[in-house]
Amino acid sequence: MTTVVDVYVAKDYKSDLKPIWCPGCGDFGVVQAIYRALANIGRAPHEIAFISGIGCSSRIPGYTTAYGFNTVHGRALPIAQGIKLANPELLVLVAGGDGDGFSIGGGHVAHAIRRNLDLTYIIMDNQIYGLTKGQLSPTSPKGMKTASSSFGSMEDPVNPLLYVLGYGARFVAQGTPADMAGLAAVVEEGIRYPGFAFINVQSPCITYGEADQQLKAQKQRLEPLASLGHDPSNRLAAMELAQAYGTKLYTGVFYRDPAPGPTFEDLARERQAQLEGQRVTREHVLDAFRPE
Amino acid sequence: MTRDLVIGMAGSGGDGVVAAGEALMTAVALDGYYAMLTKSFGPQIRGGESSCRLRVATVPVPSPGGTLDVAIALNWDDFLRFGGELPIGGHTVVIYDSATGVAPDQIPVAGVRPAEVVPVAIGEMARKAAGTDKAKNTIVLGLLAGWFNLAPQHIVSGIRKRFAKKSAEVVAQNERAFQSGLEYAEAHPLTSDCRLEGAPADAPPKLVTDGNDMCAAAAIFAGCEFFGGYPITPSSEIMHFFNREIWKHGGTMLQAEDEIAGIGAVVGASFAGKKAMTATSGPGMSLKTEMLGLATIAELPLVCVNVQRGGPSTGIPTKSEQSDLWQAAFSAHGDVVRPVLAPVDVADTFGVTIEAFNIAEHYQTPVVVLSDQDIAQRKESFDAIDTSVFTLEQRRRPTEDELRDYLRYRFTESGISPISHPGMKGGNYLAAGIEHNESGAPTANGEMHAKMNDKRIRKFRPLAGRHDLFVVDGPDDATLALVGWGSLAGVLGEAAAAARAEGLRVKTLVPKLLYPVAADVYARFFRSVQAGLFIEQSHQGQLHRLVRMFVDLPPGIESLARSGSNPIDAGLVLARVRQLARGLQQARAPMVEQVG
Repeated sequence: MTTVVDVYVAKDYKSDLKPIWCPGCGDFGVVQAIYRALANIGRAPHEIAFISGIGCSSRIPGYTTAYGFNTVHGRALPIAQGIKLANPELLVLVAGGDGDGFSIGGGHVAHAIRRNLDLTYIIMDNQIYGLTKGQLSPTSPKGMKTASSSFGSMEDPVNPLLYVLGYGARFVAQGTPADMAGLAAVVEEGIRYPGFAFINVQSPCITYGEADQQLKAQKQRLEPLASLGHDPSNRLAAMELAQAYGTKLYTGVFYRDPAPGPTFEDLARERQAQLEGQRVTREHVLDAFRPE
Repeated sequence: MTRDLVIGMAGSGGDGVVAAGEALMTAVALDGYYAMLTKSFGPQIRGGESSCRLRVATVPVPSPGGTLDVAIALNWDDFLRFGGELPIGGHTVVIYDSATGVAPDQIPVAGVRPAEVVPVAIGEMARKAAGTDKAKNTIVLGLLAGWFNLAPQHIVSGIRKRFAKKSAEVVAQNERAFQSGLEYAEAHPLTSDCRLEGAPADAPPKLVTDGNDMCAAAAIFAGCEFFGGYPITPSSEIMHFFNREIWKHGGTMLQAEDEIAGIGAVVGASFAGKKAMTATSGPGMSLKTEMLGLATIAELPLVCVNVQRGGPSTGIPTKSEQSDLWQAAFSAHGDVVRPVLAPVDVADTFGVTIEAFNIAEHYQTPVVVLSDQDIAQRKESFDAIDTSVFTLEQRRRPTEDELRDYLRYRFTESGISPISHPGMKGGNYLAAGIEHNESGAPTANGEMHAKMNDKRIRKFRPLAGRHDLFVVDGPDDATLALVGWGSLAGVLGEAAAAARAEGLRVKTLVPKLLYPVAADVYARFFRSVQAGLFIEQSHQGQLHRLVRMFVDLPPGIESLARSGSNPIDAGLVLARVRQLARGLQQARAPMVEQVG
């Protein structure tokens, strides 16, 4: 008898499904970075639940060997929270695009942050709607001409980094597939972070995205936060750097709460343990309705 | 002496009308009576007018009853605001606070002269006995106990328990107030005798609760480990119950940021392998629709309770209606069969909720439970439920063998495929709202979509044979028929019993499975029927029309449907049944002459 020790490598997380993404899409790099991060963490694929909404990026769970759930537009976060609460032992990843996360699903982000379940939320931010063929997204720059803004967008874009920092996110990072090693590192750090982790990935759309946002251009202008000497435990400094969203491309960890505190599922387990003594057996559940 | 007494009370906020009703409810239940307590409020959060109606009987109480036997007005103007809900008839005894300033000869309302009108200085008695107006409701309890033979010892012990937390003085004040009411009643007997018969000496101990608490308790009994929801009247008490109890059973609940997130978390918990439930009311149901479709195509079990209120939109949140049936059955895009169940009373909510979990788990589907405000928020006293008769179903998990070449959506003869969940080695799959093949991989292939639609719809076929989810009563060959569902089932039973007492041959059908329509059950039921009624609390008669989509009904079947907050009562149904019977007789008359 030999004892099998489960050691996973990146390809163990790669499924047989062929991505529908356009050749050259940034999301290819994102999924590669996720394979690498997962291999470093080493959890078995069947212990991972990977949840997404709708859009190009939301196809990503299908390209992994984890349990996946490609849900409905904008609603990945509530579903992921139900999964984590039902089984806190699972590693739960959530992914989607900027439209999925900040337009239709924008209302859920604040509450996922507030509840602080141990989830990792990866947004593939390409400033455009790709799957529906090139309409305005919540992160599209003002003035951008798209299928639904022929004369230029009249709206200010959402700043995803400031948005989540403002809601009190405990872990906020940004990456780009133009820097695979850096992206894999922040994904891994986000997963290891004991609480809700948000990672904004500048993943360009090769078909509808703007030329100066493509991987090659990104490579030239990205600036690792580590090289700026940024202290990731400083929320105000993180917010100041986050202001540069749309002009500068900072990568790495903007903010990591040094005292993350208990997660929602920790508190739930604590409450279950406290109250377990008051449990009545199922057969006696109706005894509470005896008048006295 | 009477075996059945309907008492209606109304007053201003702070008069404690509902508290008095609750105290009376508990006291009569302890005495062994069957009872039903319905409450009604104005739209304000606190203050304003409120009313309650208590029906007490020595036999099970099927409905809130029609015209009141006893009407109690702490404030006459407030009483009149509930005119339609607290109707006074020729047999009613009206008791009111004489301080209202209305003379007894002015009491006739809407042309009806009540049997007896009794002004009592209720406020003055309260101030005298207890030193405060607050004890008015306790005076009323004393009057009721004295005049109608209602559980005095249990009311006193209830007063002691209720005020024990305050002070000995408050307990004493209220006991004095009760005594004062009781003595007044004894000193001033009524002319009409509507004292309640004693409950049978061997009356078994009763349970008392409302439909919402019963629904949550049933879910916990069924093994529900997760609840996700958002506050909405009149369903919120289901969430409140979960919040108090679910942790003790190792489960979790989430008050989500909205209705969509509430059911979303439930979809997630179900995907993770747990029995899970959400509860809402009309407008929340609209928001949950997309998630119900997701659970349908991903074949995930869940229970979604809709405590119906008056609609559309915000409608009347505090009043009952049965107008969400079409929404429950059809508010989905694409080809969907979504089972819909409805309980008929508080006790029945236990079994129906368990059945909803069983169907959800067995068929891997969302199931809608259509409760209504009436059942959900009224209190009933009923006989203890034997929980050992219920069996619990679990979803079909893959065997080790099946995990070797696992296909989540494998085409099987029954249409039901073994379902794995995260954490189960070898069961990894992609669940999706997008169409998929047997493994779960996305596909836009039309043939695969047709096959999957067939699988998802075919699997429900056995539900059509669930005769146990229908209650049929009355002579098999009856020519007259009544059909009704939800909270109107009791009204229907009461009307049928009265019609039979008049010699009419009437049978009744109460479906607890509303959708899919069990065509065989209806076809068999209607075989002997020449005239009948579908009785429903909605404007369009939603069940009547839904059944007609799938079953050819005999031509004499009509709809008795009414929306609005005043429930249909047995008297109205009985009047229509008599009409139908006369119609049938007239139709036969010429033939009789020819034969003669």
